[in-house]
Amino acid sequence: MSRPSAARKAPKGEYIETDSGNKVWRKANISGAPNITLGGRTVIREDVHLRGDLHRLSTTKEDGSKSSSSHSISIGRCSVVAAGCVIKPPCRVSRGVLTYYPMKIGDNVFIGPNSTIQSASISSHVHIGEHCVLQPFSMVRENVKILPHTIVPANMVIPSNSVVGGRPARIIGEVGEGWGAAGGASAAGGAGTGGESWVEGGDLRELVRSIR
Amino acid sequence: MAQVFPYTYYSCPCVESSSTKPNAVQSAPQEAAPFLEDEEENTFDPRSPRANFSLYPIEHLLYCTDCHQIRCPRCMVEEVVCWYCPNCLFEVPSSTVRSDGNRCTRNCYNCPICTSILSISSLEKPTEGLTPNDAASDAAKAPGGPYFLSCPFCQWSSLEIGIQFEKHFNLTSQLQKIIRGDTHRLGSVTDLASPRGEEMEGEIQGRASVASVEDTAPLPIQGDTETLFTNLYNFYRAQLSELSDANPYSLSSDYSFASPSSITRLMNLYGSGGRTKKDRPKPIREAAEFSEGQKVSNPLSEKENIDRIRSVGWEGTASVEQRLQQCREDVGFVDELRPLATLLRTKKSKRCKICRQILSRPESKVSTNRYKIKLLALNNIPKITMRSLNAQPAQHPSFPMQATAPGSDEASTLKPLVPTHFLLTITNPLFDSIKVTLATPSTTPGCVKSKVTILCPQFDVGANTDVWDEALSSATDRSSKRQSQMLSAGPDGGSLTGIQAEAGKVWERGRNWTSIVVEVAPGSLPDSIGHVTLGDDAQGDGGAALDEDEDVLEIPIFVRLEYETEAGGDDGGAAHARKEDAGKEKREEAFWAVLGVGRIAG
Ligand SMILES: [Zn+2]
Ligand SMILES: [Zn+2]
Ligand SMILES: [Zn+2]
Ligand SMILES: [Zn+2]
Repeated sequence: MSRPSAARKAPKGEYIETDSGNKVWRKANISGAPNITLGGRTVIREDVHLRGDLHRLSTTKEDGSKSSSSHSISIGRCSVVAAGCVIKPPCRVSRGVLTYYPMKIGDNVFIGPNSTIQSASISSHVHIGEHCVLQPFSMVRENVKILPHTIVPANMVIPSNSVVGGRPARIIGEVGEGWGAAGGASAAGGAGTGGESWVEGGDLRELVRSIR
Repeated sequence: MAQVFPYTYYSCPCVESSSTKPNAVQSAPQEAAPFLEDEEENTFDPRSPRANFSLYPIEHLLYCTDCHQIRCPRCMVEEVVCWYCPNCLFEVPSSTVRSDGNRCTRNCYNCPICTSILSISSLEKPTEGLTPNDAASDAAKAPGGPYFLSCPFCQWSSLEIGIQFEKHFNLTSQLQKIIRGDTHRLGSVTDLASPRGEEMEGEIQGRASVASVEDTAPLPIQGDTETLFTNLYNFYRAQLSELSDANPYSLSSDYSFASPSSITRLMNLYGSGGRTKKDRPKPIREAAEFSEGQKVSNPLSEKENIDRIRSVGWEGTASVEQRLQQCREDVGFVDELRPLATLLRTKKSKRCKICRQILSRPESKVSTNRYKIKLLALNNIPKITMRSLNAQPAQHPSFPMQATAPGSDEASTLKPLVPTHFLLTITNPLFDSIKVTLATPSTTPGCVKSKVTILCPQFDVGANTDVWDEALSSATDRSSKRQSQMLSAGPDGGSLTGIQAEAGKVWERGRNWTSIVVEVAPGSLPDSIGHVTLGDDAQGDGGAALDEDEDVLEIPIFVRLEYETEAGGDDGGAAHARKEDAGKEKREEAFWAVLGVGRIAG
C-alpha cells in the first residue's frame, strides 16, 4: 500500500491527511474533487459521498457575468462529516435548465452518520444528529442543534440558536446561552483523558485531533 | 427520542423555595435551616415530580454573580429584545407586533397540514420553485401569472382550497382580500353554511322538525372570527365605559388594588351599609346578539358536519393539532385549513428574579449572535462529567462517527448487581482552586435501588489558569497528583468504604480538573414480580410493570465547593462572603446534580 508523503499519522492507511490537516478516509467516495474545498482540520469519514461533480455549468450563463467557478461544495475548518453521509449540492430548474447551486458548510460543524445534506448553507457551530435529511435549499444558521432522525423540509430556514426535530422539522426549543462553551475545559489543554474538551456546538479541534 | 447517556443535569436551588421573592428580613434564619435539613436527610430525588422543574443541562443555566447562585428559567425574568421572523429573518418592530400580532406579515407561510414552510410558485411555469425569500431578489426575472403556495414536504397546495395569488409579493394582504371576498362570493372557507339568506331560512323551516330546533327563530347571523372579535371587543369596551360613567370610582384606568378608588369600590361591594345599593355598579352583562359579538351555535351546521364527515371520511377531518394552529374556531375539515403566517420568534434578555441583575443580553440585531452580557453557569460552577472506567464506549455519545444499530448501545446498559466503576470528572472554570466535597445517598431513590459509593468524596481541583502556564510546567502534573493522594487519604475518604484499594484517592488530575472513581452496583429490576403478576396482567392492564424510565440509573449527587477568591472582584459579593484577611474572601457554594448513567438491563 503506497502512502502519500502528506499523510503523517495513518498507521493503517485508513485516511489521508492533507497539508492543512484535513483527514479524508480512503473509503470515502469523492466525486469532482476539484470543485470541493475543505477548510483545514476537517474530517471526512468512510462511505461519505461528496458530490462535487454536481455544479453549475459555467457555459450556460448568459447575463454577461460569466460564472466561471464550477465551485460546488465548501466545508470550513474543524468540521466532521461522519460515516455514510451524502453531501449533494441542491438543484432546481431555473429557466428550463436543471441548475446546481453551490453548498457552503461552516466551521465546527458536526454531521452525524448516514445523514443526507442538500442544504444551501450550514453555518458554523451546528450539530446535526444521525440519520437526518436536510432537503434542498434549506438554510441552517449558526448555533443550531438538529436532533437525530430529523427531516428538514426544502427551503426551511432554521434561525440561530434553535433546536429542531421531527418530520418535518419544527423549532422545538432553543440551545442554551452556554451552547458550545466548554466551561473551563480549554480546547488547547489536551492534558489528559479526564478533561475532554469538545462539546456540541463548540470548538471541534480536539475532536478532530482525537480521530484517528 | 432516546436519551443519550451519560448525562448530567444540575438542580437549580430555587426548587427548594416555593416562592422566589426576596425576603431580606427573614433570609438569615431561613437559609440556615433548609441547608441543614438537606445535609441530614432531605436528599434530592430526581424522580420526584417537582424535580422536573429544576433539572437542566448546564448550558441552559446562567449564574448570578451578585446572588452567587445558579439561575434557571424558573428564577429568571425574560425581556424581549426584538421580534423577528424565523423564515425571512426580518426584524418586526414591537409596535407592529402589538398592532398586527405576532406573525410575519411578509410572505412567510407555513403548511396547514404539516407546518413546513410553503414555497410560492407560478402557475405559468409549474416547474419553477421560488421561495418567498427569493421572490424579492428575483423579482425582475420572476415568471408572471397567478401564483400559489405549495408545501415541499407533503405536497399540499393552496389550489386545493382554491387560493391563488396575482402577485408573488404582499401575500398577506392578498390572502386577506381573498378570504374577505370569499365570505361574500363563496361563503367564507370556514362557514360551509354559507349561502345564507332567504333560501337558507326556507330550508331551515323545512327541516326544522328534523333538526329539532326549538322554534323557527331566524338563523343567527354568522360572521367570520375577525368580525366576531371586533364586535365583542367593542361591546366590552362600551360596557366598561358605561360602568365608569355610572360610577366614577370604578375601573376607569386604575386597576391597582391599593388605589383609593378601588378600595372604595371594594368597600361598596362587601361593606354593610344602606347606601351601597344605590352606588353598587350595574353588573357587567354578557353579549346577547350578533352585533355585540355573540355567537350562537347552530344545530343545523352540526348536522351538516356529520353528513360531511360521512362523505369525506377520517382523512378529510383536521387533526386536533392542525385545528389548534388555525387561529379560528369552527375548523373541522382539511379543506377548511388555511396557510398559516409564520409565528415570530424573539431574542430575549434575562434578569435575575431576585436582584434584577442582567444575566444575559444579546445584541439586538437579528443577524448577530453576539451577547453584550452573558453570565454562564458554565463559567462559574464546576462541570461534572461521568463515564465508565472499564468499558470505553465505542463512540462518543453525542459525536457518533458510525451509525449505531438499534440496541447495540453496550456502554450505557448496566448489568444488575455487578459493581461497576465510573470516572467522575470535575472541571473547574474558576481562576481559583476549589475544594470539592461530594455526597450521595448510598442507595438511589426510586423503586430500583442501586448502591452508589463515591470512593473519594473530598478533593481539590486546580485553578483554571492560563493554558500555557501548564504547558511550561507540565512536570507538576504527576507530582500534584501524588500530593493530592496523600492529602485526600484523610479520615473522610477512608471512613466511607474500605473495599477498594483506591478508596480516598484521586484517580487522575489535570490543570483544572480532577477525576475520582464512583462505584455503582445497579439494583436489579423487579423481574420476579413481573413474572408473578404476568398471569394477572393477561387479564388486567399490567399495573405491576415498571414505570417508564424506572430502569434508568440516575444518581443524585450533592456538590459543595469552598474556595478563596479576591475580594471586591464583584460588588455585591461582599454580603454573601465572609471577609477574611488582606482582600481574600472565602466562598461556599452547594447544589444538587443528577448523573444519568445508563439503563439497567432487565
Ligand atoms: Zn432556578
Ligand atoms: Zn417572514
Ligand atoms: Zn405540508
Ligand atoms: Zn441575583
